Amino acid sequence: MRSKGKKFKVNNSGQLLIVAALAIAILISATTVYVYELGNETSTVENESISNFILALKQSTRNAMIGSLANTSNGGEKTVLATNLNRLSEVVRSLHNFGLSQLYFNVLNNSLYDSGVWLSWNVSDYGVSSAYTNCTLTIEDIGTNVAVDYAFNITTTVTLNGYYIRLADDEKQVNLTCRVYNEEKSALAKELDIFYERLGSWIAVNSSNNLNIIDYGNGTYTISFTVNTPSSSVQVSINAYDLRDIFVRANTTCDEV
Amino acid sequence: MRSQNKGQIRIIEAFLAVLVIFSSFTIFSNLTVTRSVEKSGDLASIGLQALMKLDSNGNLGKFIDSKNWTALRDALDIVLPPSVCFNLTAYDETMNQVNDYAISNGALNSQEVAFVEYVCASQGVVFHCYIIYLHLAVAK
Repeated sequence: MRSKGKKFKVNNSGQLLIVAALAIAILISATTVYVYELGNETSTVENESISNFILALKQSTRNAMIGSLANTSNGGEKTVLATNLNRLSEVVRSLHNFGLSQLYFNVLNNSLYDSGVWLSWNVSDYGVSSAYTNCTLTIEDIGTNVAVDYAFNITTTVTLNGYYIRLADDEKQVNLTCRVYNEEKSALAKELDIFYERLGSWIAVNSSNNLNIIDYGNGTYTISFTVNTPSSSVQVSINAYDLRDIFVRANTTCDEV
Repeated sequence: MRSQNKGQIRIIEAFLAVLVIFSSFTIFSNLTVTRSVEKSGDLASIGLQALMKLDSNGNLGKFIDSKNWTALRDALDIVLPPSVCFNLTAYDETMNQVNDYAISNGALNSQEVAFVEYVCASQGVVFHCYIIYLHLAVAK
């Protein structure tokens, strides 16, 4: 009897160990699953937030460049771009969403661009107003170290070409086609002012010239007007403002057809 | 001896059952907390994307430049889901409040209020940079 009782005790001790091991295993599993799920979800939400934050700052940089180019193309200094981006950098530095954010920029300087701005208005048949900047955005915090490089090219281009038909001796009907582009994509113009050259001076075209502008709604405009000039070719200039208030001038020479 | 052992096993069984139930409760409550965190993150993301949408064509900066708060509130009403309440405050570069009255569509009566900080650079010829604080909550 005694030996049987001892044997039973030993058996029970083994069972208890198994049960205890099972309980501990359940506890460990539950904790592991919890930690894994929580870590996974938190990092996903945080990564998404940082991505959105970067996208928002990129958009702000783009807006600052558009405003700066609008300023410069309307007669402002070319240094306005760097000045405005500096102000934006200071604001970005004051944000503490994800630690320390810094926006570094480098305005393009080459044969075309000066202080990040290129204004080409005296070439025949087209005009360009453009701004180009390279940027680096860094976000530093405990466990976060992000550096994003990006560049923005803000360009408004206007192409202009046309011809004239002789109506009477010096009276001519000028027909023009004007196209407006923003970053090489068709864009609408906010305002088009047309001028022609007569005896060395530029004269604004208005309703007295039977001015007719057809807007095709896709960035293409056909323009016709009559002029009275003795020259065999008609010099035409167009001053265009796009919807972002960026100014561009384009010139062309119209010959008789 | 046998009846004594039987009692021990029952106690252990009861202990195990309590453990299992407790574990399931723990996991369930943790998942609920995780989901609510996700919800708050979603709301902030919705708010940020709404501001980016308004800012993509420069309208956000134009509304603030022209102090057209009614138009700004109406625009936010359009781009945000109908069940979301918001309260927007605009500051200039030196953190002076720009809006002279609340840009809001109702009180934020919720335990979960999401917060979005947004930098808005205006596209205007005269450059302005604003810091926007947007608080969002799901309407009850």
